[in-house]
Amino acid sequence: MLSRRIVETLVGLLLLAAVAALLVLAFRVSGLTNFMRSPGYMVKASFEDIGQLKPRAAVRIDGVTIGEVTAINLDPATFKAVVSMRIDANMDHIPDDSSAAILTSGLLGDNYVALTPMYSETFLKNGSTIQYTHSAMILEKLIGQFLFNIHKPAASAATPAASKK
Amino acid sequence: MDSLIKIDNLHFNRNGRAIFTGVNIEIPRGKIVAIMGPSGTGKTTLLRLIGGQLRPLSGQVSVDGNIIHRLSQAELYRVRRQMGMLFQTGGLFTHLSVFENVAFPLREHTQLTESMIRTIVLMKLQMVGLRGARHLMPSELSGGMARRVALARAIALDPDLIMYDEPFTGQDPISMGVLVRLIRDLNKTLGLTTIIVSHDVPDTLSIADYVYVISGGNVIGAGTPDELQKNDSGELAQFLHGNSDGPVAFHYPAPDLATDFIELSEGNSNL
Amino acid sequence: MINRIADIGRGGLNLIEAYGKAGILLYRILFRWPRITKNFYYVVQQIFAEGVLSLSIIVVSGLFIGMVLALQGHHTLVKFGASMELGPLVALSVLRELGPVVTAILFAGRAGSALAAEIGLMKATDQLSSMEMMAVDPIARIVSPRLWGGFISLPLLTLIFNVTAIYGAWMIGVQWLGFDSGAFWSNMQSSVDFHVDVVNGIWKSVVFGFVVTLIAVYQGYFAEPTSAGIARATTRTVVYGSLAVLALDFVLTAMMIGGW
Repeated sequence: MLSRRIVETLVGLLLLAAVAALLVLAFRVSGLTNFMRSPGYMVKASFEDIGQLKPRAAVRIDGVTIGEVTAINLDPATFKAVVSMRIDANMDHIPDDSSAAILTSGLLGDNYVALTPMYSETFLKNGSTIQYTHSAMILEKLIGQFLFNIHKPAASAATPAASKK
Repeated sequence: MDSLIKIDNLHFNRNGRAIFTGVNIEIPRGKIVAIMGPSGTGKTTLLRLIGGQLRPLSGQVSVDGNIIHRLSQAELYRVRRQMGMLFQTGGLFTHLSVFENVAFPLREHTQLTESMIRTIVLMKLQMVGLRGARHLMPSELSGGMARRVALARAIALDPDLIMYDEPFTGQDPISMGVLVRLIRDLNKTLGLTTIIVSHDVPDTLSIADYVYVISGGNVIGAGTPDELQKNDSGELAQFLHGNSDGPVAFHYPAPDLATDFIELSEGNSNL
Repeated sequence: MINRIADIGRGGLNLIEAYGKAGILLYRILFRWPRITKNFYYVVQQIFAEGVLSLSIIVVSGLFIGMVLALQGHHTLVKFGASMELGPLVALSVLRELGPVVTAILFAGRAGSALAAEIGLMKATDQLSSMEMMAVDPIARIVSPRLWGGFISLPLLTLIFNVTAIYGAWMIGVQWLGFDSGAFWSNMQSSVDFHVDVVNGIWKSVVFGFVVTLIAVYQGYFAEPTSAGIARATTRTVVYGSLAVLALDFVLTAMMIGGW
């Protein structure tokens, strides 16, 4: 029979270990970092097609994560997808003519937003909109275009007279 | 006669089998009463009915004026603090030392300081002669010692009533003598009303003031040990003298011996 | 034929009776909890017996399961050119399924069987009866702290199991297979959601802890008071406990994915 003090200490240690485990799961594993990081600032960008992009996807420059996607909405007037992003506050020198693209990490990986900095002297700030965007590369569309392009020359060769008119 | 316990017309069934069919028993205050009978007649069941662990089918058990099966849980627990019960196996808590076993009821029911608990526990252990064994664990005790520790625990709260379930079973002559002495001393010095359930005739008769003999669900004999000894009627006398044959037959009920053998030799036995 | 039907009927009645008894036991455990301050230490004692003492088996199993997952996962993912997804694969399978389920089954084997045996033995040796005769309710004093102890211990153990398994996978993935540590964690972070994956896994373990411990104390408390009866109670605790965990896991997963 262990003494009461030892039992209580060990149970306390178990509790501490479990709390530590929960913290690791929260911040290391699931990246629940919202209340850890500085709030940052919000920018928006419109895309023709966002592919598989989801909220909480990463925003990267040269592969380095600098923020995350907070929301994705459809603009009811233009029918474009509006992606809201939160950029870390210390990244406050991103030129405002930078372009945004939706890329895929690896062949089957997650989508993320990649920013490519340009040379403007003014910078993105809270509420800015990124003008230049490249939509996600959708495999089906690429294949479709490819097939279409193969067919076109073949079709025009078969009916040269009609195409000349 | 001032009775601590009155059992009126008690009926009790277990698994559809009648154990008691109209038992009447009175236990006078401050006396040693033995309840005897062959194995399997429900003597232990009777103790559990008195302690309120079982409910009678009909009839009632009253302890000090409280009808046991009508009490609420809280009232029953209040009455039980006035009872001590010594189980056949002792029922010591195997994970606690001898000292902690005896201290258990004190810790549960009183707000005494540690030094007072220590004093009381040592006093009770002194009574049963095991003050020196207080650091041992129950697994290190002999059967007789375990019963004495259980006895010390049962009297820790100074009850009015103590019940012994088969205290003499499986004891060597010395620890038997020790137990007989303890039961008598506790009864005399503390004025404890004592119920002993046993089928051990000579030792029980030597200390009991009054004896009830139960068999087949009824009381078949009652009286002081001397009165019972003189009685030579049927089953009672057979039980008290330990005759192998009598009203209670030596053979378990079976078909006639001759027919049984013939069936076997003809090969149509369903054994 | 008639006998078979009668057997089925009797089996059904016994099952209903068992559920009824378990329900009454649970009611008595939950509503007879006198003197909370005094009983608190008994619960702490049980967290020690059920939680701290199960820790070693939980940590070792977690480590090995994580390591195996990383090896197997890598082996398969490489074929699809998706070995980047090793972190998410390990984290999601551990957090959602393996952590709660394996911990609960190990817990049923380590702590549940010990509980059933302990309570059954106390019953067989008249310890519970003598406690009752000392006007101490064995349900409040013995059974209830054990149920609460298990209920609290299992989620704690599951958290620790999850972290050990993920670090086991990290050891294999990063130290042995040569992944980039940063990519391992960042891929994991981008696909693991705290509320959906981590918290739901914890909910599962809360339910499992309750059910496994209730089965254990039920089997112990209603065990036949003989050596054979205690042996049966111990076996049943592990078998019924594990089956209940697996079946409930399916129900809970369906509820969580179905968005109930």
